[in-house]
Amino acid sequence: MLGTLLASPSVETTLFYLLSTLAICLAVGVLVDRVVIRSGFILIGVFGSIAGIFLLLSAQFIALAQVMIYAVAITLVIVIALMLTNPRSESEPLVKEEELPPPAAFFRSLKNNFPLWVSIMSFVTIYVALTGENHWPISTEAAPIDSVKVIGEQLTTTYAIPFEFASVLLLAALMGAIMLAKNDKSEVSAQTEASLLEAKKAEENLALSR
Amino acid sequence: MNTPNQTMTRPARGSELGPILAVLFVALSAALVGTFAGLGHEKVIAHRFDFWFCAALAGIGWVARSVGANKGVVIASTVLGCFVMLTCYQEPLVRYLTLGALLFAMGVFGMSKSRNAVRVLMSIELMLNAVNINLIAFSKYVDPVQLKGQVFAIFILTVAAAEAAVGLAIVLSLYRNTSTVDMDKFNLLKW
Repeated sequence: MLGTLLASPSVETTLFYLLSTLAICLAVGVLVDRVVIRSGFILIGVFGSIAGIFLLLSAQFIALAQVMIYAVAITLVIVIALMLTNPRSESEPLVKEEELPPPAAFFRSLKNNFPLWVSIMSFVTIYVALTGENHWPISTEAAPIDSVKVIGEQLTTTYAIPFEFASVLLLAALMGAIMLAKNDKSEVSAQTEASLLEAKKAEENLALSR
Repeated sequence: MNTPNQTMTRPARGSELGPILAVLFVALSAALVGTFAGLGHEKVIAHRFDFWFCAALAGIGWVARSVGANKGVVIASTVLGCFVMLTCYQEPLVRYLTLGALLFAMGVFGMSKSRNAVRVLMSIELMLNAVNINLIAFSKYVDPVQLKGQVFAIFILTVAAAEAAVGLAIVLSLYRNTSTVDMDKFNLLKW
């Protein structure tokens, strides 16, 4: 039922433009929003709409894995890191440029917007390569009904060694993350004790002054 | 303490780079024009109205931005207009690939432009997602029987999870040592 509905080209086109509009607008929000934690939450929407695009491409397993890993786990980690790192500088301060003569200002804006030129050039290059003379060899064979079964068989037979290496990579990355983020007690304790003492003293003074 | 609306004046740092970058920009534009010329002059200039449409949209967006419109609205509407114009006459596979390329370019922009280290990590996640879109589009339209693209997408998901964990741990420990997440202030590895 759903598959036949999705197979009709007009429905697929409509859904594609809907989801890609969502994804692009939210991605612009992620990049432009001055409050970093808000862009962290907008990221959930980007990943969710990309999961919808995966569903359109009849990749159900990847879509659900995307929702679980990206939209929940990675965004959660990012938001928690934001909460742990940002003191008061959640908004990036506005940078006010000093006055310059026009040619120097032009070169300055060229230089400051250099990432923009690079990204536009890369997009145009990829697009020209995509829509060039040679067309992609589009296959018309019928897709397997149970795509999860196909993926699972490939992961355990053809791609068994990369699969095992991926698990080793995950283990090493988790151990490295724990080692990096671990609070070294011996170095920090002296500072924190001093600051705790100061805070306690200030509190006592406050209580006395009342 | 920084208040949200604090403004500060940056000194003119590295202003001798300006001419060099301008020359580089001109060279890149020449390379772009050369690419089009390789495709055939009449094909690009005369029949590709979509490129002219996109250039006009970018000009309108620039004018609106200099008049004082909201930055996010201007960027989003310009990018969306260009995207729809570039994809509406294409076949489905090219549509998905263009969406992936667009998200990848936006990730590149955010990665090199933003000053907050966590936002850089978010942009990297965006780029990895764009690659996933590419792989899954190929696995549907080019290789629908074996679905190798989806297998590779699973590997990319794994690597992205590992990268996010390690990157955020590095950001946390850097913040603990320097009490900042500003990319401009991380100069420990500068020679």
